[in-house]
Amino acid sequence: MSFRKIDIDALDEEQLSREELFIFSNGVANGPTLESVKSGAIDVRNALTRGDTATALSIALDNPPYGLDNDEAKTQNTRSVLDVLSSVKASDIPGHVKSLSSDQQLVLMKYIYKGMAAPETGQSAVLLNWHEKLTEVAGVGCIVRVITDRKTV
Amino acid sequence: MAAQEVHQLNIGPLTAHAFNKDRTQVAICPNNNEVQIYQKTGNSWNLLHSLFEHDKLVTSIDWAPESNRIVTCSQDRNAYVWNLDSITNKWKPTLVLLRINRAATCVRWSPNEDKFAVASGARAIAICYFEGDNDWWVSKHLKKSIRSTVLCLDWHPNNVLLAAGGADFKARVFSAFIKGVDKKPPPTVWGDKLPFNTICGEYSNGSGGWIHGVAFSPSGDALALCGQDAQVTVIYPGKHTSEIKLSGLPLLSLVWVSESRIVAAGFDCTPVLLEAKDGLNWQFSKVIDAGKKKTAGEATVLNRFRQMDKRGIALDSESGNADLATVHQNTITLVRRYDESHDHVSTSGVDGRLIIWGIKHT
Repeated sequence: MSFRKIDIDALDEEQLSREELFIFSNGVANGPTLESVKSGAIDVRNALTRGDTATALSIALDNPPYGLDNDEAKTQNTRSVLDVLSSVKASDIPGHVKSLSSDQQLVLMKYIYKGMAAPETGQSAVLLNWHEKLTEVAGVGCIVRVITDRKTV
Repeated sequence: MAAQEVHQLNIGPLTAHAFNKDRTQVAICPNNNEVQIYQKTGNSWNLLHSLFEHDKLVTSIDWAPESNRIVTCSQDRNAYVWNLDSITNKWKPTLVLLRINRAATCVRWSPNEDKFAVASGARAIAICYFEGDNDWWVSKHLKKSIRSTVLCLDWHPNNVLLAAGGADFKARVFSAFIKGVDKKPPPTVWGDKLPFNTICGEYSNGSGGWIHGVAFSPSGDALALCGQDAQVTVIYPGKHTSEIKLSGLPLLSLVWVSESRIVAAGFDCTPVLLEAKDGLNWQFSKVIDAGKKKTAGEATVLNRFRQMDKRGIALDSESGNADLATVHQNTITLVRRYDESHDHVSTSGVDGRLIIWGIKHT
């Protein structure tokens, strides 16, 4: 039965690799590095302590790390986005969502799904609230784009 | 609201449809290995011919208007060219050797009708042309840099360039120049030297996702593509690229009805109109089938159980009606030009309906 353990895909010369699917019209990219994400996180925290959640949200969503080997930066930025999301009052959510650009809305939706994929953080209720308000503004097209997008955050 | 004609040709899905030149006949595939040709009499369609030659699901049909030939392709990896025998009044199939080892997904006649392209899951596009010496359709393969199944095709009006989109997230413009069939084409915006298998352009939607539909503009100077990421990209090579992010579900098929208007449709069960304001900046214009208000019906228990029995779903208790508000009751998989004046388009989809939409005044 040992033949069952052979990875036959590896023998296929025309195998499509993850890296090949990650090539975009603007080339392969990883987004910002861990260092710049860390400095961004400090800005986010400063904005949050000032109570300026709108700025904090916009800093956290601008230029997110994506790419294939950027996991640490991704985790770091996810943490700051989720910090912002949980510190916004429920009644302020629609206003925040509407002030975002369509690209930022897409990134926000990615982080909402990423957050919901890790329920152990215990923020699902907050995220569901954001998800509802964001879908009202950006439409289901935004959800579809998050599911298809290879640039995962 | 636009005028439309609705024809329920099948209970299950229609995988493809193609009209003849004067639109008195239509060829469809009722989601099996059969091709049915319907004749229009008055306002209804009568089954005229059933063509059985394929072994598996017919994936695409195209009807050449001038030469009155039908080409069909199927998951059985074959394509047939059908000629109408004027004496017996029967369609005669001719097998085309495609030399592919995966399903054929899409077939389209070139504008001059002297060759056709077959897209396939074998990471290749077969360009087929008739070789008089052998009395035989032969094929040449476009394979360069295709990494996955090719899903959609569209010919450039110059009969040489071919656009193809696929599951490798890319749409490409190829040269399908066949020596002996084509004359050297004049230079276009896509390039001037065009030997067979030249890639004139490679494009993708912003965030990836399968490319479900490609279409050249009537002049051939622009290319539109729609993908699984619910975006439409319109490309003016070397000049300008316009991206439309939709708020609805992804589009599966699109056609240009003028240089500044595109009709597209997909998972939202309604055709939508995209328009270019001031020439290049494309925007979502409107939904063509806004849908009718649901009329409140009688929500009896009997009705509810009848509905559950018929469709396997519980009906909407308020309206007493499980139908969608749109005319198409399920995903639209194909949009095609209906007449030369571009005043109408035809759509077909998973609900088995063939609908002809008047779009001139929308």
